[in-house]
Amino acid sequence: MLPKYNVLTEEQVLIIHNESIKILEEIGMDFEYEPALKVFRDQGLKVEGNRVHFTREFIEGKVKLAPAEFTLHARNPEHNLVCGGENIIYMPGYGAPFIQLADGTRRKSTMQDYENIVKLAGASKNLHMTGGTVAEPQDIPDEIRHLKMIYSSIKNSDKCFMGSAEGRERAQDSIEMAALLFGGKDVIKEKPVLISLINSLTPLKFDERMLGALMAYAEAGQAVVVASLVMAGSTGPAALVGTLALQNAEVLAGIALAQSINPGTPVVYGSTSALSDMRTGSLSIGSPETALFISASAQIARFYGVPSRSGGGLNDSKIVDAQAGYESMMTLMAASVTGINFVLHTAGILQYFMAISYEKFMMDDEMAGMLLHYLKGFNFDEDGLAYDAIAKVGPGGHFLTQKHTRKNHKKEFRTPQLSDRAAFDAWSKEKLDTNQRAHKQWQEVLANYVPPALDENIDKKLLEFIAQRS
Amino acid sequence: MNELFSELKQAIIDGDEDIVEELSQKVIDESINPVDAVQEGLIKGIEVVGELWKAGEVFLPDVMMSAEAMKVGLGLLEPEIAKLGMSEGESKGKIVLGTVEGDIHDIGKNITGAMFTAAGYKVFDIGTDIKAEDFVLKAQEVGADIIGASALLTTTMSAQKQIIDYLIEHNLKDQFKVFIGGGPTSQAYADEIGADGWAESADEAVALADRMLAK
Ligand code: B12
Repeated sequence: MLPKYNVLTEEQVLIIHNESIKILEEIGMDFEYEPALKVFRDQGLKVEGNRVHFTREFIEGKVKLAPAEFTLHARNPEHNLVCGGENIIYMPGYGAPFIQLADGTRRKSTMQDYENIVKLAGASKNLHMTGGTVAEPQDIPDEIRHLKMIYSSIKNSDKCFMGSAEGRERAQDSIEMAALLFGGKDVIKEKPVLISLINSLTPLKFDERMLGALMAYAEAGQAVVVASLVMAGSTGPAALVGTLALQNAEVLAGIALAQSINPGTPVVYGSTSALSDMRTGSLSIGSPETALFISASAQIARFYGVPSRSGGGLNDSKIVDAQAGYESMMTLMAASVTGINFVLHTAGILQYFMAISYEKFMMDDEMAGMLLHYLKGFNFDEDGLAYDAIAKVGPGGHFLTQKHTRKNHKKEFRTPQLSDRAAFDAWSKEKLDTNQRAHKQWQEVLANYVPPALDENIDKKLLEFIAQRS
Repeated sequence: MNELFSELKQAIIDGDEDIVEELSQKVIDESINPVDAVQEGLIKGIEVVGELWKAGEVFLPDVMMSAEAMKVGLGLLEPEIAKLGMSEGESKGKIVLGTVEGDIHDIGKNITGAMFTAAGYKVFDIGTDIKAEDFVLKAQEVGADIIGASALLTTTMSAQKQIIDYLIEHNLKDQFKVFIGGGPTSQAYADEIGADGWAESADEAVALADRMLAK
């Protein structure tokens, strides 16, 4: 493993921490949910209306209760994931309402897209879990979308997946379904199986839906990502450090709430902070400033001793082109080398979170593979030093016929899945660009994918639950 | 006196609401014609900002702060104009703007409002999470030409349709033009629900309103 790269000095991290504490103490935050206000009141904090004024002792004390790492359990234990420490978890994009097609057109996403993306993530060697809301199924009524999505995540892959964050009730449904799959709520309370995305309402607010979901998951011992998306320049200041301090205040308050409800609740420090473009107002996620937010967030989370979430294959491009590629690599690499643990939006995102593309998904999957290889770093054992091979070949000569080469290249070199390394003439026969190759590839992967069998009895119970809740 | 109007104009260009407030108060205190102050000061200033924006020479915060300053000036001078029984002169149009029920995304709506203001429209921003009925009541109250509704979630787009349904139900559909916008919306959706206008960006929304109200 490569050592993690820091972008702030220890002193700078402390400055950000202290600024956040000042924000929480002096300005406070609004919580638009009575049960959450009650928790804070019971903890002895000053609450006026929806405004909660925190204290340094409270925040620092509660954040200490959060575990440094935790295991997220999968239907197939081989896919259990440790979130935290040196580990990195890649997964698909989240929440996009559109599918961008290879021919440049865009359409609404559907349940079929959701299922396809779960399958592509299930098949991937580089994506560790299948994520959540991988496409917004606009053909399913809102009230039952979450049920259908969870079912599809369970049925089409045996990797870890995410629960619904759309309010207490839908969180509860997610928990019920997970309990049916894993053998009861007591079982999952001991072994978390769900992780969900709880967003603050920047600046300095949390709404009822997100708080309801956060409380339901914390009570059930399930993991939550508490994330803040500050749009610097519009929902936050046009200053990088100020934005980090604001984001940090919100995330700390959310983590403190989870720890007040259930000490030891697995939480992840989340950031999706980015820029507002000062000409169009558009969110800009493929920017160097976003890469700085990602990198700093990894380090700030390390300072608190909690796992981090940020980054992904983020970009502002409309299609799968060079901009999509270079911006995504910058943000995915920033997340990977600075030690982000949970990388939502690794694969598929285009158009500042508005669209998912299958072709982009395959391209990002390749990038994830490249980065996983990069992160492994160097091998310093005898094979890695390769002195014997060097001695055998001596001056002049070549290594292509060495046993060491034949054996070791498989260990140390990565074979690309999508990138083209052919000679020019060979490539010229079909002249396929990345978008076109990826288009062929995802269809092949889907056609060949066989979802891991799901116990018939459990399947039946899940379907019954959905029928009863619909 | 011309001096004061050009100072007002400059304060709008600078987006300095404090100075706009001070100068507008001076107009009132010194019994200067408030209609002239609006026409020769405030509006001249915002026109410059609109031109600079179109030329790509200023950024969003510049336009938005000028629009805010404009609001402050009008907030002081309009009551004065009404008190004196004068007429303010024609604005290009009135637009009631809000984010629909269940939705709190407001950045896009705010930008749209500022662009309309900079283009010489009178904007009534009614905030976020607004019921269909409240859009319409406000539009009736101010005699709006356009109702503009923003929605950023696929699940709240249906609330844009509710505004149109409400208008139809109350026989008001031909009184207002309904514009919709926000990330997940599209021309196709606007057509489907019978909205009069859709725009992907604030600039296009203004251009569309210009075309439509000119008819
Ligand atoms: C910032 C943001 C937030 C902020 C909002 C802060 C604020 N004060 O507005 C916060 C964090 C609070 C938030 C909350 C939520 N969000 Co949000 N959010 C965004 C984000 C990243 C940017 C929105 C934005 O401001 N864009 C910039 C502005 C300038 O663009 P715009 O609004 O489209 O406006 C332009 C045009 O559309 C047009 N326009 C806008 N309004 C109008 C009106 C008229 C009349 C006209 C003509 C034109 C027009 O002009 C504008 C300027 O050119 C979007 C993704 C995205 N890239 O858009 C997600 C996004 C919209 N959010 C999403 C979601 C799911 C949510 C949440 C449910 C929680 C969550 N899981 O994150 C909550 C919902 C809260 C609620 N009840 O509304 C999803 C929606 C998916 C879907 N199915 O629809 C998106 C797409 C992100 C994603 N991929 O998951 N969000």
